[in-house]
Amino acid sequence: MLLASATTLPLLLATAGCRSSDAFTGPDPLAGRPPLGHDVLTLQAVIRAEENLIYLYRTAIHGDSGTTARSRTLRPLLAQHEQHLAQLRARLIQPGGNPATPATPSASAASTAPAHVSTARLRAAERASAAGLVRRLAAVEPALAQLFASIAASDVTHVTALGG
Amino acid sequence: MAAITVAGVFGAVSALQAALAAENAAIFGYGVAGAHLTGSRWAAAQQDWTGHNQARDTLAAMISKLGAAPVPAQAFYQLPFRVHDAASAMALAAYLEDGATRAYLGLVAVSDQRLRRFGALAMQGAAQRAASWRGSTQAFPGLSGP
Repeated sequence: MLLASATTLPLLLATAGCRSSDAFTGPDPLAGRPPLGHDVLTLQAVIRAEENLIYLYRTAIHGDSGTTARSRTLRPLLAQHEQHLAQLRARLIQPGGNPATPATPSASAASTAPAHVSTARLRAAERASAAGLVRRLAAVEPALAQLFASIAASDVTHVTALGG
Repeated sequence: MAAITVAGVFGAVSALQAALAAENAAIFGYGVAGAHLTGSRWAAAQQDWTGHNQARDTLAAMISKLGAAPVPAQAFYQLPFRVHDAASAMALAAYLEDGATRAYLGLVAVSDQRLRRFGALAMQGAAQRAASWRGSTQAFPGLSGP
């Protein structure tokens, strides 16, 4: 049995007619940005959805200058969504070289949010968030699935708190 | 739907048994809570008690289908605090639903996608009932234990 060493390997390659650079051919897997995994892509999408929901709540509260009763209901729900976002972001570990998830709502959310956000719209957004999380939790790793399920359960309680 | 592996069955049965245990505890606890409630609150407790009985039967059937024996209910459950009036009865109901939420969270971690969805939806029901009894919502139902 030959023992590979710093002296024997070059001799072996030379004997076989190979250059050392030929031993490792093909594209360099470390040359470009590594592709993002499924869980990362899913988490990014969930973070964007949570950011959009927070934007809706902030818009609703800002527009309620004369409706303090509704604002008293909305503020604790907004605070819980901010906790959701913090936990989701804490789970996001991206490979180096990939752009981080932007902290501000997406341009599409900002351009489509009206000056007044109805309670019905907030309920619909909460329902959609819960449904989206349940749909996504099937294919992510267990701990992330549990976080999604917990946030979805929170969203559903918000629907009831909003009179749904 | 792909068949569950042997290891997956063991994980699923364990999680289902934990959910069943939580439902059995809730059935017992609601019996105690209901005795201190009247009017619409008593009606809500009765409805929730019926729902927990149905959930128990569903879980027992799922466990049996996987080839295991459902864990039996205990004759008595130690309550977390003394229940002596409507306020403590409602607090107990919220406590029981929090326990059910945590138990169903365990199902969300199994590999079978149908059981994950089942657990997630059951969590939502328990979290809603808990919020109704407590009078407030939580950021992370099932994840914030006592």
